[in-house]
Amino acid sequence: MKSLTLDHVSFWYPATASPALRDVSLEVVQGEVVALVGALGAGASTLLLVAADLAPRVIGGRLAGTVARRDRSGIVLPTPWTQASGMAFTVRDEVAFGPANLGWPAHEIARQVDRALERLELVPLASRDPATLSGGELQRVIIAAILAMDPGLVVLDEPAAELDAESARTLWRLIRLLAKEGKAVLLATSALDALPEVADRVVWLENGAVRAVGTPDLLADVAVCDAGLGTSVATVWRAGGLREPYPLTVADAVQRWR
Amino acid sequence: MTGGRLHPFTLLAIAAALPALAWILPAPDGPAATLVVALVLTLTPGASPALTGIASSPGWRRGLVVFRTALLTAAPFWLFLLLLHDVPTTIAIGLRITTMVASFVWLVATLEPARLVEAMIAAGWSASIAYLLAATLSAVPVLKARARRIVEAQRCRGLSPRGGIAARLRALRALALPLVLSALHEVDERALALETRGLVPGIRRTPLAPPRDPAVEQAARWVLLLACLAALARRFIVPRFI
Amino acid sequence: MALSPVLRLDGVSFSYGAVPALAAVSFAIAPGERVALVGRNGAGKSTLVRLVAGLERPNHGAVWVGDWDTRDCAPEQLARRIGSMFQHADQQLFASTVRDDVSFGPRALGLGEREVERRTDHALEDLDLTSHAAHHPYDLPPAFRKLAALAGALALEPTLLVLDEPTVGLDRALRARVTRALRERSAAGVALLVITHDLTFAAETLERVLVLDRGRLACDERSAGLVGDATRLEPLGLVPPPVAALSAALDLPGRPVRGAEVARELARVARGRLAP
Repeated sequence: MKSLTLDHVSFWYPATASPALRDVSLEVVQGEVVALVGALGAGASTLLLVAADLAPRVIGGRLAGTVARRDRSGIVLPTPWTQASGMAFTVRDEVAFGPANLGWPAHEIARQVDRALERLELVPLASRDPATLSGGELQRVIIAAILAMDPGLVVLDEPAAELDAESARTLWRLIRLLAKEGKAVLLATSALDALPEVADRVVWLENGAVRAVGTPDLLADVAVCDAGLGTSVATVWRAGGLREPYPLTVADAVQRWR
Repeated sequence: MTGGRLHPFTLLAIAAALPALAWILPAPDGPAATLVVALVLTLTPGASPALTGIASSPGWRRGLVVFRTALLTAAPFWLFLLLLHDVPTTIAIGLRITTMVASFVWLVATLEPARLVEAMIAAGWSASIAYLLAATLSAVPVLKARARRIVEAQRCRGLSPRGGIAARLRALRALALPLVLSALHEVDERALALETRGLVPGIRRTPLAPPRDPAVEQAARWVLLLACLAALARRFIVPRFI
Repeated sequence: MALSPVLRLDGVSFSYGAVPALAAVSFAIAPGERVALVGRNGAGKSTLVRLVAGLERPNHGAVWVGDWDTRDCAPEQLARRIGSMFQHADQQLFASTVRDDVSFGPRALGLGEREVERRTDHALEDLDLTSHAAHHPYDLPPAFRKLAALAGALALEPTLLVLDEPTVGLDRALRARVTRALRERSAAGVALLVITHDLTFAAETLERVLVLDRGRLACDERSAGLVGDATRLEPLGLVPPPVAALSAALDLPGRPVRGAEVARELARVARGRLAP
């Protein structure tokens, strides 16, 4: 079942002549993880804002084409510290902020909050003051806070940027779990090496337009590697002058080597 | 006494009544009395450490920080007053202004924005207005924390906050611009961010922990209002009949 | 002949109130050395950087910047020798143009206008920011703001650059710019201390790795030896970068960890296999 459909969407930021998105058509189905990759400024963040119904509704600008949404969406911005409510004294209260705003009954809020805290491994931090958290901890809190609102479409913009290796690994596993539970996940990330394990589909954005769509195998494509968007293994394989198809991961490479 | 456990409306009432009485009551006794009350309040513990920024200056007893902030914030006003007025006027206005400052500083240090939001929503106010008011209150500690970060960054680039008056003024100016700019920039981002946290007009927010409002406190608020009105009457209306 | 160290920590311990952050950390950095500071979130990396910049004083032990003890110096004084860039530095840009912001540091040091201009131009050129020099920092996208903040540290022309996550939020092209600028400075004798989660960046650009684990210095060695060793990295909460992991998994001769070297070895071994 389609959660999000973009049909020939173009988007212009307010007072800007050239579009940030050009004729983008994209579908995200429930239960799948779609990853956007591209150079900075390629339009991934803009696309996520459109997907989460924040552009043009909240930030202004002009949209051409149609956007069809089936589910409520939740977005984690690349600057999670701006999403903190500023009026919660504990992590638990911060995570409960969203669900309370949605008017849910107290027991439902408690259930969602507990689940979100557990999934992001935040239980030991539940009574901490969000203002004292490190960047990585706060990023996890905001992710928990958005998940606690139980969105059907989960939109994540560089969710692992501030996280260390262990937390990032937990996050990628959680994203797969969310898809398994039937949520649609749309994410933008520069952590290309994690995508083979995380994404069902990869969309390559260039200058606001979709350049290619495919399975994570796309990240071993010659053109993608040349654009600096291949996985590290694929890139180094190509640099060594070895033959295609390039392996995506270390495991793939070991198999090829034998 | 823990100011943080009083109902938010009571705290607001006190913070409004003290400056009101300071201006209504005849100087210098009236304002002096209200100032003493306000300063005593600043010394009472009960505020969350995060509000007063004490988490980062562990050596200070909580109340002293709030007390000190109140006095330091009011000090420049006295300077200007001395330049403009004679001594009795300076004292009268100075005491009143200091009462206002001390009450506001105490309020910011004691009133937890989350509790205010809960109280307003329980009383029927819309969530957006509640957040607006709470955001105004929490603006001060947020700005303070940001100012500290900016000053640190500037010091690491060689700017000394110490030294003579000229150096200090320069440092102040170097701080003011980025503080205001980044605050404005953040207002933009905040509007977007609060949208992402479910702030949709029309939906009643679930109260998570509405503060208790005992009858005693409600009565006390009425008493404060009546006291202000009475003082107003005594000052301006009664003399006409004499 | 040992050059006197640019930075030396002697048994440094520090706690935030009752919460211990660093315990008995000792190491030294020589001029021109490129050092990565890695470890889990909360291991003490940012604390260590604050101590080096003079924003905090150690509870025990001493931090020496050249021959200055940080306990006797204010941060603005240490700015003569240290250029620091903290996390989210782009939130602390203060001037109305990029150029003004970058020249803030040299000017605050009291240098003459011509020297200020020279240093500013040099820093802007190093990071290819000259075309943005007249823009307002907040008009730039976040990645370029980060470069502007880095330029501000470079413009101080310090003996030691202390950078907290300089590559987060940058794409490959901008990362390459930063890498090039840092390599050039290091070749000119500037020491680097870089906090990073990006072990790929550490393996490519930084020759030595300091690993903090719960406030203690767990490892201090050449990055080439450590970065590919999963068994040693795992208990420290770290994961070998893919290229190093590849090198280890394929057992490439010499176990190179840098991309160019791994590519070369792959090519060599592949050719050797094809030869009859």
